[in-house]
Amino acid sequence: MSGAVLVLQVALGAAAAAVGGLAPRHVRVRAAAALTAAACVAAVVAAVSVLGSGHPIAVHTADILPLTGASLVLGPLGAVLVSVTAVVAIAASVYWPGYAHHGLSSRTASGILPVFVTSMLVVLEAGDPVTFLVAWELMALSSLVLVLVDQDRREETRSAGQWYAVMTHAGAASIVLAMVLVSVHAGGHSFAEIRAQAGHLPGGVRDVSLVLALVGFGSKAGVVPLHVWLPKAHPEAPSPVSALMSGAMVNLGIYGILLVGDRLLGGGPSWWWTAVVALGVVSALFGALQASAASDLKRLLAYSTTDNMGLVLVAVGVSGLLADGRHETLGALAMVAALLLVVNHALFKASLFLSVGSIQAATGTRELDRLGGLVRRMPVTTAVFVVAALAVAALPPLNGFVGEWLLFQSLLHALDVSGAVVSVVVSVAVAALALTGGLTAVAFVKAIGIGLLGRPRSPGAEAAREVPHGMQIGAGLLAALCVVLGVAPMLVVPSLERAAATVVAGGRSHVLRGGVELELAGLRGILAPVWTAVGLALAAGVAVGTRDLIRRRPKRRVADAWACGRELLTPRMQYTAASFAEPLERVFDDVLRPDRDVTVSHVAESRFFVERVAYRSSVGDVVERVAYRPVIGAVRWWGSRARALQSGSVHRYLGYGLVALLVVLVVLA
Amino acid sequence: MSQSGYVAMLDLGAGVVLVCAVVTLWRRSLAAIVRALALQGVALGGVALFLGLRQHDGALVVVSLVVVGEKGAAIPAVLMRVVPRGPTSRELSPLVNVPASLVAAGALTLLAFAVSGPVVALVPTTTGRLVPLGLATVLIGVLAMAVRKKAVSQIVGLLLVDNGIALVAFLATGGFPLVVELGASLDVLLVVVVLRVLGSEMRSRYGVLDLDELQELHD
Repeated sequence: MSGAVLVLQVALGAAAAAVGGLAPRHVRVRAAAALTAAACVAAVVAAVSVLGSGHPIAVHTADILPLTGASLVLGPLGAVLVSVTAVVAIAASVYWPGYAHHGLSSRTASGILPVFVTSMLVVLEAGDPVTFLVAWELMALSSLVLVLVDQDRREETRSAGQWYAVMTHAGAASIVLAMVLVSVHAGGHSFAEIRAQAGHLPGGVRDVSLVLALVGFGSKAGVVPLHVWLPKAHPEAPSPVSALMSGAMVNLGIYGILLVGDRLLGGGPSWWWTAVVALGVVSALFGALQASAASDLKRLLAYSTTDNMGLVLVAVGVSGLLADGRHETLGALAMVAALLLVVNHALFKASLFLSVGSIQAATGTRELDRLGGLVRRMPVTTAVFVVAALAVAALPPLNGFVGEWLLFQSLLHALDVSGAVVSVVVSVAVAALALTGGLTAVAFVKAIGIGLLGRPRSPGAEAAREVPHGMQIGAGLLAALCVVLGVAPMLVVPSLERAAATVVAGGRSHVLRGGVELELAGLRGILAPVWTAVGLALAAGVAVGTRDLIRRRPKRRVADAWACGRELLTPRMQYTAASFAEPLERVFDDVLRPDRDVTVSHVAESRFFVERVAYRSSVGDVVERVAYRPVIGAVRWWGSRARALQSGSVHRYLGYGLVALLVVLVVLA
Repeated sequence: MSQSGYVAMLDLGAGVVLVCAVVTLWRRSLAAIVRALALQGVALGGVALFLGLRQHDGALVVVSLVVVGEKGAAIPAVLMRVVPRGPTSRELSPLVNVPASLVAAGALTLLAFAVSGPVVALVPTTTGRLVPLGLATVLIGVLAMAVRKKAVSQIVGLLLVDNGIALVAFLATGGFPLVVELGASLDVLLVVVVLRVLGSEMRSRYGVLDLDELQELHD
């Protein structure tokens, strides 16, 4: 297939942006969404052809960017992520028209959303640093606009926008530095040329650019301690945008780490991969812990994104360590696990964000303690949410289970490999990931139990109605893919192996064997997802059947429930999100540092009688408090010092400029 | 036209650009300042045109037409609409008086010749020796922004800087690629339009177009 399909995809994206920005109100969202989806279909076609044939698609134009021109080269690794991004974007496009009147119908929003989607695709297809950086910046700016698009409603949105703007630009600056360092010293224009010269790079340049790349791309992937923007910006964006950011944009951080670490520099040193694993472990634990303590549904999902990206980074790092120690087959297996985790995460997290968007649209809130009782009022959305949540919790027969199975298989087999670094790193990682898995399950049990089941906790939840079909289909499509990949992972695993083989030089894991079973070639480990699913279905059928058999014996009587002697049971008496998380908060008190505030007011006549008790508990982000607040305080202090220079006279400012210009000229001449 | 004819025309164009910059410091009438700017735009376009003709570069000829249309006609026309009628249309009390700013302009021109040695050495063609004129125009533009009080003079200062940069680019590299030139031109036009709106707004709100009055907005 020629590069024309890539050009077509960009052209369709541009057309979508133009239509979204210019068309009249009643058609613009539908038209922009349709064209965006069409662009994504073109991208999927290109990606599938690359993954099928193994040959990259390339296209180069000299006219678009000055000096170097723009080139798109879609290789197998990019193709995997392009198809994931495109599928998420297609679902978001289907979802968008139904959601539009909740803050995504303006000209700005409908013009910028296609730009955001297209620039993400172009980042993955870029064949040279300039194209990559331009697309990256376009993606950062357009997503920033989309976070702020609804900003007149809430103060938090503005603050989230500021955090996001600062973090994303600091990250972009770091990436630009890394790319410039590498390409200047390697002396090539395209990624392929740089790759060919990578062996001759001086060690210092290599190390500095690796660290810079890890910082820049890590912040985009939401890695602790650079994650602070993520739980602010992802929840505040309109839900289709949250889905795109959390489902697709974070993956680009992972892609960037692989691009610089593996493809440009031909495999980083082992300390770098160890750092990647360490960041992954910390992110996974911290994200899961914060998710289980969060009471805002979207914030919970955002922290869970940090958690999942942590898992991916662990797999990526272990893969790098293994490849570095010449264990390419195991390294490729870990890379397949990493890619499968990315694919899975995109599907279930985007589905969850879209479902939460539906819930927010129907109830007007995303606070867990103001939801409840949605299973009867919004059955489809609830079902979609539950499927996706079970996938996050890595339960069979869903895709999350297969991903984590592969991850643990690759980690456990890596333990057999000799080498002190690998053994220590991997054993710590396995233990931490086991804890992470448990915490994730807690978080999503809370989300389902408090948010969807029980009785409605607020009038908004009481009045909830099922959302329009487009929104149900958009979220449902992704949840259905979670089931499909959970039962038949063989549909994607060969493609992932092909992509992994391009990342880990010389490694081909041949995970696939036997058609319906995943068997690790040369290693112990078999998974039969289909039989797991059938077994689970049978077990569920037997359980339900037995219950009915037992139930049938005594005659059913309808009576009032025992209410501990009270007459009235109100929804306020239900278990809350805060009470559910309280034991965990106690155990992890040092990390979570919850803020608890109990105010007791007494009746005026006697201090023995309590009039009311107010209890407020909130869990902030300890990293933000410890690492960021002091920096912000220092910047603010400097800012207030610098006011001394500010007289308010424009002429004095221009005078400063003139003097500085003259000094520079004289010094340089 | 002969080779020496082209060179003479280039010398003339670049000289007119610098002289127009000095004229904007010399004249007090805002209308005259804007007219000087328009003439400068035409001269700049002329430089590009002669360069284009000499190098048989069609794109550069197109660029020169764009420059004349934008800097010689469109921007001055927009600015003329902001220039108020009556006594407020004069730059009565600049921060540095006119003779002193002319002396400063002379000093800046000398400085420009003194420091642009490395750039001149870099440019292979004979046009390189005209680069100091562009640099001097840039410096005079910054000076005009720093010492003039009226918003219109400030905008003119900004445009002088832009014209100076464009002149250096034409002389040193034979002009930008067309797309860069178009982008930069659009940017400048946008800035002028924004400032025009801001100027009308300032006048309707504070009754003046004097930037010193904005000092009260501080705090």
